[in-house]
Amino acid sequence: MQDSSILNTFIAMMDRIGLNYEFLATGYEATIWRDGFITTLYLIALLIPVSLVAGLVFAACLTSGRPFLSAPVRGFVEITRNTPTLVQLMFSFLVLNTFVSNLVGGAQNNPLTPFFWVVAVVGLHIAALHAEAMRAGIEAVPSSMVEAARGMGFSQWQILRHVELPLAFRASLPAIVNNLINLVKLTTVGNAIAVSEITYASIMVWTQRDNVVSLMIVILVFFSAINIVVARLGIWVERKLAVPGYGL
Amino acid sequence: MTATTMTSGPKKQHLTRSLAFVALPLVILIWALTDLSLGRTLVEWIPYLASGFMMNILISLLAMTFGTVIGAIFGILELAPYRLVRYPVVAYVQIFRNAPHLVLIFATTYIFPFEIVIAGNYLPFPDWVKAVIGLAIPASAYVAEITRGAIQSIPTTQWEAAQGLGFSRWQALRYIILPQCVRRSLPPWMNLFSSITMATALASLVGVHELLHAATDASTAVRRIDFTIIAYIVVMAAFFALCYPISRLTRRLERRFNAA
Amino acid sequence: MMLRKKLALSVLGLAISISGMTATSAFADATLDRIKGRGALTVGVILSGAPFGYIDPKSQSEKGYNLDIAKALADNLGVKLETVTVTPPNRVQFLQQGKVDILIANMQYTDERAKILDYVPTPYDRSGGAAVVRKDSGLKDWSDLKGKPVCVSQGSNFTQPLIEQYGAVVKALPSQPESLLALQGGNCVAAVHVGATVGLLMQDRADEWKDYAIPFPTELVPSDSVIWLRKGEKDTQTALDNAVKTLHADGKLLEFAKANRLLNTTYLEEEHKALSASK
Repeated sequence: MQDSSILNTFIAMMDRIGLNYEFLATGYEATIWRDGFITTLYLIALLIPVSLVAGLVFAACLTSGRPFLSAPVRGFVEITRNTPTLVQLMFSFLVLNTFVSNLVGGAQNNPLTPFFWVVAVVGLHIAALHAEAMRAGIEAVPSSMVEAARGMGFSQWQILRHVELPLAFRASLPAIVNNLINLVKLTTVGNAIAVSEITYASIMVWTQRDNVVSLMIVILVFFSAINIVVARLGIWVERKLAVPGYGL
Repeated sequence: MTATTMTSGPKKQHLTRSLAFVALPLVILIWALTDLSLGRTLVEWIPYLASGFMMNILISLLAMTFGTVIGAIFGILELAPYRLVRYPVVAYVQIFRNAPHLVLIFATTYIFPFEIVIAGNYLPFPDWVKAVIGLAIPASAYVAEITRGAIQSIPTTQWEAAQGLGFSRWQALRYIILPQCVRRSLPPWMNLFSSITMATALASLVGVHELLHAATDASTAVRRIDFTIIAYIVVMAAFFALCYPISRLTRRLERRFNAA
Repeated sequence: MMLRKKLALSVLGLAISISGMTATSAFADATLDRIKGRGALTVGVILSGAPFGYIDPKSQSEKGYNLDIAKALADNLGVKLETVTVTPPNRVQFLQQGKVDILIANMQYTDERAKILDYVPTPYDRSGGAAVVRKDSGLKDWSDLKGKPVCVSQGSNFTQPLIEQYGAVVKALPSQPESLLALQGGNCVAAVHVGATVGLLMQDRADEWKDYAIPFPTELVPSDSVIWLRKGEKDTQTALDNAVKTLHADGKLLEFAKANRLLNTTYLEEEHKALSASK
């Protein structure tokens, strides 16, 4: 009861300055919109670890020196970096998905949802960018350090695990945080394949009501807030991991 | 490690690179040839698709031009010694660097009017121009950051040396600092160019007649599933053909600057 | 110069620039005067496929039932026709902004829409939604869609009844080809679109769609397809209403419908009889 009166006051106040949030007081549109925020946050929370893990795997393949590992990954990295993510998403969802359906013997057996495809396409796209950053980081590790480790009897894997990766991760952290900010922004392409994130939810509302401005302000503030948090966390991790004297 | 790849790799790398370049067109060609009716339909639609792609190129060039000019000014203003100048610019850069391109395109398309009145004359304000603005805004925020970073990367001793030679603050910026900045910021600028070019595809979602939109129109008219699929591959191939050379060039420049 | 100014506005805060901008569309009132003054009628049309609207690859021009009506209306007003392609997610904005004078864009009458827009009272067609489903899905009627994923176009007027009346989980895609591809990929059990469009598609491309059918006995929310215009434009409304009535009476609409192969012309025939009799 009290809840709805606060809401109504808010709607009336906003109406006075020319913003239309009437839909908040009505049925399914308000639910769609609220779920839109939750879906966007959920997508981001899922995509950050997915992109980091896949990026690490890609980086390991790229620097492995084995062509059967590095060539396919390089090919994927080039395609994903040089074609629009929106088109990749449409292609995956409409074409690859149909292909998968045929493979598993009919659409009814296909467990892949639009949500899955957004996570896959955006996650792997950002992973490719992470991998490029990490590769640069690994290549920037002074060869004297690698040689010192080898001299101490470290195996190739141990060098990667204990020497190259920790240093490379620190060196590539600013680029990785930048990629994560892009990741947050990229989640909006999901609206093209009906993943009910916040822009999709907003389109559903504004096509019936013509209140683009009111919704847009909230969306811009929302994304700025998320990205400020991501950037702050990045700085915090950077400080936490700083190696004194190494200049990173 | 880098030394070994440099000596053993070039020929093989060159081969994979050119393979990557023709792979998508090759898929299209083979498919179109195996199903001639599909191939004929595709050929029929190529001019329409091409006119769409011209729009992508136009939007990205204009957005980058405006973005670069405004961004470079804002980048310098971000380092201005006056808070009153610095704070609003920093706020602009922070907000629009963090905003999704798609949301900005939605915002400019639906918020700006369709025509502007200048001295009693009605000037049309078409959608593609709104898309240009929608992409120029984030581009300018990025260019501002690139410029600021480049200026800050120049050691302060150079400023002092310039001062010692009798240059004013502005002259030092103009003749000593900026030329170096341009060189340093070229690779990230080109990355941005490529990313803005790809973002032009988002304009299809607001109805701008660009490549992806043209492909959808074509698919709607042809009503063949295999055509819809090949149309998407054509779209990917077109963007790849444009962006891949840019990214190769960027990497070459990066390597040269790092070596220098 | 102009662009710089726009940018400066955005810096100051989108909110402020916005309220100033939207105000300009408010006094684009006497649309009829403007149409006559400019000598052109700007119509928002939707290219959702044959029979209503599509691109002809040879001439690269738009064709279809909606386009024929737009042309006839422009002729009736004695002006030339300009068309703007709209999509379901942007058509209302384009009309509100004044980018188009009227919409002939597969938009049926709904009470919700009538709150924000005005419409020409005489409809040019009557249509409802048809659901394309797999033949082996076992779906027999709209109520079977409860809790199941259903694909539509973004901005479709079938969204609300599907959710509120039948409890379906609606997935809205940017346009019809994507929605149909999503159906074939198994991302939804049914794709709901304007009956005539999908009906003709199933007929023309029977081979590709042999596993699919339109099995439900009724159409979803069958309602009048009307021409939409901005609120309060009474003079334009009257002029267009007379024009549509004439098109019904002299059998032009029926002719357009046959030329574009509309599957069900019962409504148009009735209206033709009624209006030509009253003349």
